[in-house]
This record gives sequence, structure tokens and C-alpha cells, in this order.
Amino acid sequence: MKARQVKGLDPAAPLGDNAERIVRVRLDELCSFMPRAADPAEVVALHDMRIAAKRLRYILEITGPCFGPYATTAVKLTKDLQDVLGEIHDCDVQLPELRVFAEELVVQDARAIAELAGAAGDLDPALLRRAPNRSAHAGLAALATYLQGRRELLFTRFLELWEEYERKGFRARLEFAAGERAGATISPA
Amino acid sequence: MAKAADIDVTPEEPYAVAGARIVRVRTQELFSHGEGVLDTEDIERVHDMRVASRRLRAVLEIFAPCFPRAEFKSALRDVKQLADALGERRDPDVHIAAMRSFAAAVTAAQRPGVERLAERQRERQAEGNRVLAEALEDVEATGLRGRLLALADAAEPGA
Repeated sequence: MKARQVKGLDPAAPLGDNAERIVRVRLDELCSFMPRAADPAEVVALHDMRIAAKRLRYILEITGPCFGPYATTAVKLTKDLQDVLGEIHDCDVQLPELRVFAEELVVQDARAIAELAGAAGDLDPALLRRAPNRSAHAGLAALATYLQGRRELLFTRFLELWEEYERKGFRARLEFAAGERAGATISPA
Repeated sequence: MAKAADIDVTPEEPYAVAGARIVRVRTQELFSHGEGVLDTEDIERVHDMRVASRRLRAVLEIFAPCFPRAEFKSALRDVKQLADALGERRDPDVHIAAMRSFAAAVTAAQRPGVERLAERQRERQAEGNRVLAEALEDVEATGLRGRLLALADAAEPGA
């Protein structure tokens, strides 16, 4: 996913002001994936939201000390979000690979037992005992079940996490912190 | 996992000055993880180098407007290529480790299938190592480290 462009950055201007612009764009980018990513079938949106979380986390890790104290809290929250989205992504990568591999073995075995049947009028189920990959199917089915179940559990965790962030005002508090400057004091009028 | 060095920044310092300092530190960190990275017995090495490459890439993107455009684009492209090559090796490392722990938890009848899939991942790991070895040679041949440090120098007024 290509990052949204940040306008108005000036190399000679203070770091805090430039970083604030970047944080605001990256935060908006992250939040823009909801509610689309709340659909478990939206694999691409979930993946892109993970990338957006990573981008926000990195700018906050580097420039967080320029901002108000909530920026430090936001680093951890963003990392937690990135982690759970990363685990979901791992399942989304592993499951199709596993299914392709399992299907390859099924095709090989089907071909092998058909050959073993030779000129028989029908296929004897007992030939399955001689299929070359017969010992592999159970484990692959178990792993697919596990990954599918894990994905569902992680997705629920992701939704709970996001709901908690919304309840605690993650976006508004980070926007406020990005406008603050560390060490700045308010002078009396 | 190796922790990245903390780098002090202040809100008032110029964006480009901070960028130059941070790129120097993250560049040194990336190259400090290069030793033994092709060793498949110690998968943390490639992980550490991959994380360092991601941090460097992030920093380059954050401070992009501070660098000379052509040199920046070419350095960023090469850092991305290295990061991708590290990913080619790291992904099967992770899958093999996950399958090992899954195999330990399931019944004996389920284990052979998981081991077959792990074999496939070991082939990917070997291929990933070949891709990574080539990428590391390219990094050396194109002087990426020096180019990154030169970018940092160019960003800092008066350097």
C-alpha cells in the first residue's frame, strides 16, 4: 500500500511541526480502514491497515518525544494493533499455501490409486491404504483447522482492541498530543 | 530481538538535522547485523537485520524531503530490495518454527503431514538464503552504506 502524501514538509522548519503533519496524515490513514476492516473477509483492508499502523508507529517512535505525553502511550497502542493485525496476516498467508499443498497431495494420491486400480471397473477404497501421501492428509487437515480457528480468534481480538481504542478516545487524544510540544510552557498573559 | 538505539530529538531542531542524525544511526544499526545472517541455525540474526532494515526504510520515508531526490530514490530502492530479500528468508524461518511447535502439540498420526509441509518450507528457506546472499553482494557492490551516509551528510546544512 502506497503511503498517502504529506504536504507542506519543510526541511528547514522545526522537527516538531513537520512530524505533527506526518502524524496527522498517518493517523487519518489508519482510521480510514474502519469500518471496512471490521469485515473478516476484507483480507486486503486488514493487511493495509497493518501497514498503516506500522507507519504511524514508526513516526511516533522517532518523534514521539516532541509531543504531549499521550504520544508515548499511542506508540504501545499502535504496536499492539500492528501485532494482532500481523498475526492475522500470517494466517491469511499460511492458509492458502497450506491448501495448495494439501490439494497437490490429494491430486497425487488420486492419480496413484487410479493407476493401481488398473483395468478394474470401479475403484476399491482399500487402495487408499497404498496411496503415497496417505499419512500426510490428517496432519494437513488439522493444521488448516487450527489456522482457521486461530484467525477467527485473532480477528475477534482485533475488533475488541479497536473498540477499546475508540472508547478511550485514541484518535482525539493523539491528535491533541500531536499539537502539543514537549517542554513547552504556557506563559502567563 | 535487538533493540534500536534511542535517539534524542527536540521539537525545535530543524527537521533535516534530525533526519541526518537518525539516518546515520539506523544505517550503522542495519550493517551491524550483517554478520552470520545466512546461518539458518540462528534465525534471530536475519530477524534482527530485517527489523533494522524496516526501521531504516521508515526513517528514509519520514525524512524524504530532506534528501537529494535522485540519490534518495536509488538508496531507498536498494534498502527495500534488501528488506524484501530478508523477508524471503525470514518468512519460511517463522513458518518452520510454528510448524515445529504445532507438530509437538498434535497426535502422532497428524505429525507426518505437518512434517511434509515443513520440508516444503525448508526448501523455501534455502531459496530465500540464496536470494539474500545475492542481495548482500549487491549491497556491498553498490556501496549502499556509503551512499546512505552521504545522503545524511547532504541533508545536514554545513556538513
